[in-house]
Amino acid sequence: MSEKKVQCPKCGNAITVAGNPGEVVRITCPSCRTEGKVTFKKTIPKGDVAIEVFNLKKVYGDLIAVNDISFAVRKGEVFAFLGPNGAGKTTTVEMIEAIRQPTAGAVRILGRDIEESFDDVKEKIGILPQEFHSFERLTVKETLDFFSKLYKKRASIDEIISQMDLEDEANKLYMNLSGGLKQRVGVAISLVNDPDIIFLDEPTTGLDPKARREVWEVIAGLRNRGKTIFLTTHYMEEAEYLADHIAIIHKGKIIAEGTLEALISKHGQGSILHIKNCKTKEAVDILQNHGFNAFKEGNGDISVRIPSKERVLEILSILRHECIDYDSIDIRRSNLEEVFLNLTGAKLSENGQ
Amino acid sequence: MRVKVLYASFKTDLKAFGRSKGTLFWTLAFPVMLILMFGAIFSGADEVEYSLTVIDYDQTTMSETFINILNQTGIINVNVVEVEEEQILTYIEDNELKRLVTIPEGFEQSIGMVQMGFDENATTTISYYFDQSEQQTNSILRSVISSIVIELNMNVSGGKEIIHVDDIETVSGDFDFIDFFLPGMIGFTIMQTCIYGSLERNTKYRKDGILRKLLTTPITRSEWIISKMLFQLFLSFVSAVLIIVVGIGIYGLNIHINLLMIILVIATSFLFTGLGMLIGRFVRDEESAGMAGGAVTFPMMFLAGTFFPLEQMPGFLQTVAKVLPLYYVNEGFRNAMIYLKTDTAIFHTSMVLVFAVVFFIGGLLLTKWKED
Repeated sequence: MSEKKVQCPKCGNAITVAGNPGEVVRITCPSCRTEGKVTFKKTIPKGDVAIEVFNLKKVYGDLIAVNDISFAVRKGEVFAFLGPNGAGKTTTVEMIEAIRQPTAGAVRILGRDIEESFDDVKEKIGILPQEFHSFERLTVKETLDFFSKLYKKRASIDEIISQMDLEDEANKLYMNLSGGLKQRVGVAISLVNDPDIIFLDEPTTGLDPKARREVWEVIAGLRNRGKTIFLTTHYMEEAEYLADHIAIIHKGKIIAEGTLEALISKHGQGSILHIKNCKTKEAVDILQNHGFNAFKEGNGDISVRIPSKERVLEILSILRHECIDYDSIDIRRSNLEEVFLNLTGAKLSENGQ
Repeated sequence: MRVKVLYASFKTDLKAFGRSKGTLFWTLAFPVMLILMFGAIFSGADEVEYSLTVIDYDQTTMSETFINILNQTGIINVNVVEVEEEQILTYIEDNELKRLVTIPEGFEQSIGMVQMGFDENATTTISYYFDQSEQQTNSILRSVISSIVIELNMNVSGGKEIIHVDDIETVSGDFDFIDFFLPGMIGFTIMQTCIYGSLERNTKYRKDGILRKLLTTPITRSEWIISKMLFQLFLSFVSAVLIIVVGIGIYGLNIHINLLMIILVIATSFLFTGLGMLIGRFVRDEESAGMAGGAVTFPMMFLAGTFFPLEQMPGFLQTVAKVLPLYYVNEGFRNAMIYLKTDTAIFHTSMVLVFAVVFFIGGLLLTKWKED
């Protein structure tokens, strides 16, 4: 349990809040009764850190591509770096991979500064660059064999092939594979040195939903084997499905960071209870009288915002007591899309714009 | 430097090369096709009437008759000159003669001796000097001369061999088109493979993320460059050997393989790999890089005297050629392997080495390995 001092945004009153790392505490200002939330950031013990980024910055002329960002990735987690195209995701990940020179800032991988000892770090990381396309006229096996020869430590190629479910493709030329298989080979290449950390830069961009799912399963499998995964993506669903920790980058800045739950509870609008085909005309008024934010949808449905999960039962008992007639109800959870919309005022489209 | 890495890289390049029909065609089949095509266009069609220089040391009615018979064949245009016997070879070289016949002193006398029955065993020998590089033409002329001699022997002595023909090979300064063309093809092919190979690595590999990927693996920049250079050199030697085999096998060229030629193959590979890196530095995307490569190699191919001798071009273009690296490559190969003019070949090879050092080091320094 730690303490944090915050200031009420309305009246400026100083408030002391106590909470555990990772916890989001709801508070009410004692003087003006304004409600708010305070997030207690998780602090990662030194030995558990895989990647640390300190005040990283990249400037191209007048453009600040990455603006003074800092974050840490915990060992064994899938860390999703989520943001639209041009937000600075790839620039950041390539600075971490020492492919690009930062304008300012520092990166430590497994406790070592990459500026000083990237050559040693290379043996412990595996990378799938953005839009990677391997040697066209080598077979999958030959490709893996070539890349594995570059490292001191080598994983068994046959094992990787079977883990990635590429047995049928092992002797096919890379150029003859489908997009999804090519990406799987790309991930497989990043495993040839049995790395501790794997960087996957937009691994499913351009894939159809089925192929995307397959790559997700591969990534989930890697996490289950204890690998740390740094994933950049502009797919909300991908981050929701895979990530243990999400950092949202927008215009070169990290605008929010945390677990999916924490991000939704902090930046989402809460869940919505959906009453389908409500036949009682006064239903909205009744719910509003009970202090709920309820509103009519165009098709006769009613939506009720759920302020906290404890109050779902309350809504249900009102519906029963007031004999409100309806077909069915469901609860739609707030998601990352809503978080992103709330934070940036814009939707993140399928193609990352 | 890890040999294992160099070997792994070489092996993958070789496999990929063997599987790419396009690359195989352009690297191996295309040069051979060009040689055969140009060889067919330019050989045989050059002369309908063959010129033959004759030195008549006999100066008799009989020798004059022999010359007249040669002239009357309709395909030999005889040009009688007077040259001292010791000066014959120099004369041939100075005048770049392809063939020459000498009628010895005592030609008429020997025939007379047999005809009169004074000496049945008297003989006389006509010498036929010919340029070894002109096989096709020479064999035609040789058979014409032989048939005249056989006829003469028949008429004079009923078939007894009074007149002999002695064949003397010469290496004259005058060569066939194919002699000129073939070394140019070696230079041209090495240029193509190296520039396009280098461009592929610097544009396609960059676009495909292979260079970014390699930057994050333990392969060092020198391991990468050396392994690629080894493969480029391998391809250059394969092309050179193939072209030489075609030259010897089909055209019977007299090609000399020597140290200068080997140095030239190596230096040329470095030169054009470096040039490819320089082009790749300024033209980043694959398609425009291909076009830029063409824009550099195509004019150079014509202007540097690959297909046609520079002397056939206007004066200012000849000056332009002197600043083109391919000119020195072509001339170097010609002088080293065909003309055997060692001094000139050393000069051209040195120029190629200078270009190679400048372009390759320039390419290495200017190539951006990391992203901006």
